[in-house]
Amino acid sequence: MAEAVLNLEQQNSSISITYDTNFGPHDDIILLEIDDKLLPHVLNNRVTIRGNVEEDAVLCTPSTTYALKFVGTTNSVFLIPPFGDVEASVASVIKVAPGVMELVEVAPKLEKLKMLLKENQYNGNEDFMEMGESCEIGLYRWDDLVERVQASDVELREGLRAFSAVEINGYWRVVEESFMGMVLNMLLHNSVLSGWSLDGLVENEVVGVLESDGFLREIARLCLEMYGDKVEDEVGGGYVWKLNEKRVCVHFARSVLNEGKMKMESFMEKWMQKIPSGMSVSFEMLEGEVLLEKLGIETWIRSFSVSSLPLTPAERFAALFRERQKWESMDLEPYIRDLRVPGLSAEGLLLKYTRRTQPTADAEPIFSAR
Amino acid sequence: MEIKLKCGCGEEGCAEWAIVKMQGAVEVQPSFQDRLQNLEIGRLCLSSFQGNYTFTVGYHDLSGSRMSLKKPLLVLKKNKDGDPSKLDEPTSSRVELEVIGIIRHRILFKTRPKALISRVQSPVKGKVGQTSSTVH
Repeated sequence: MAEAVLNLEQQNSSISITYDTNFGPHDDIILLEIDDKLLPHVLNNRVTIRGNVEEDAVLCTPSTTYALKFVGTTNSVFLIPPFGDVEASVASVIKVAPGVMELVEVAPKLEKLKMLLKENQYNGNEDFMEMGESCEIGLYRWDDLVERVQASDVELREGLRAFSAVEINGYWRVVEESFMGMVLNMLLHNSVLSGWSLDGLVENEVVGVLESDGFLREIARLCLEMYGDKVEDEVGGGYVWKLNEKRVCVHFARSVLNEGKMKMESFMEKWMQKIPSGMSVSFEMLEGEVLLEKLGIETWIRSFSVSSLPLTPAERFAALFRERQKWESMDLEPYIRDLRVPGLSAEGLLLKYTRRTQPTADAEPIFSAR
Repeated sequence: MEIKLKCGCGEEGCAEWAIVKMQGAVEVQPSFQDRLQNLEIGRLCLSSFQGNYTFTVGYHDLSGSRMSLKKPLLVLKKNKDGDPSKLDEPTSSRVELEVIGIIRHRILFKTRPKALISRVQSPVKGKVGQTSSTVH
């Protein structure tokens, strides 16, 4: 018994270590190395293993995701259980362990979430009354997402929020950009008609009007979340919504650039025309959204949004360097700002995935592919 | 697919297992290969002097010490539930994972084994002084 080994101080004599009656390979017994701080999660049944057969399994606590790595050993590790041969002076070995599983904290694998949500984007053309089983293709409930996405619950929710997903009839959906644009336009149109202040939109009013225009309440609320910020209502208590100038203007810039690349002057003119009155633009708003090219004496602008790029560092940098061989630090930063690798800082990321050159001591550093 | 890590250990924590770790491998004599069960591997004793452990395997002495693991090890058991009566359920061959123990300490032997063969005798003294236990 294990106690015999662990409490040897209390024994004056030696004990015998033997092969247990049931000694064997016992491939179903696995050793998992775990940090003490994760023990409460284990003891309270808050830990799960997630992944499909073709994926590498991950271990999830409520808020963190860990990769599982098997580390083998050439040592002989004799495993002695607390049960087994009853004699106090005998410790029996049930198995020789070939190694242990170790945990390495990793970023949640949200690319799959993005892919699943794209399968059936909401665009207003759905009649829920008529929806039957056959219409559920590409539609996922929370439990369906947990089954398919290798992320902890907290990280999964955070991912849904980051992708501007909304729960409609129990299914998590992302909304087609053009449709969302239409909803925003309706909101802006109505605010002019009703004299609403864009700095103090009342949720119930906005949702009520948009609903009467035929939009789902969830979509109306999503519009406020995507393009506004909740602020405290100093006058009436509670909160109101203040439209976020940057997010609204970026939306209109994207819709202008949907037509393709264009000359800078042309873009600025069209952009100015589209933005709501009272809002002003600045070029800095477009960082991480557009790329500039000098063709001859003219500057051309086109859409290149970080939101359309891969989420994992290796793929992200590959996509960036496919677009442009060399990047200056200032241009690159907005396109890698959102990357998150546990244990790796921003500098560490650059070190790992780029080659840094600096033509002269006081020149700007240039980053290119490794 | 999601597999819950079940832990029925409760408030007192999980049953504690022990680990004895040594370098290399223990070889069982060919004649005993098929009936390892209940065979003695060796004797473990604790010296009261320095908290030093000695593990005697065959004619080798290993010297080691007990250490607390920096990170505890959980002992998990994988159960494959291939219940034929549940074949119509989509997850009929469900894998379950259960915590059946925890390891916080190990007895580690990392020195080279010392052979318990007596000192080389000069031809004059013959076989006097050789250890009496059989050497294989």
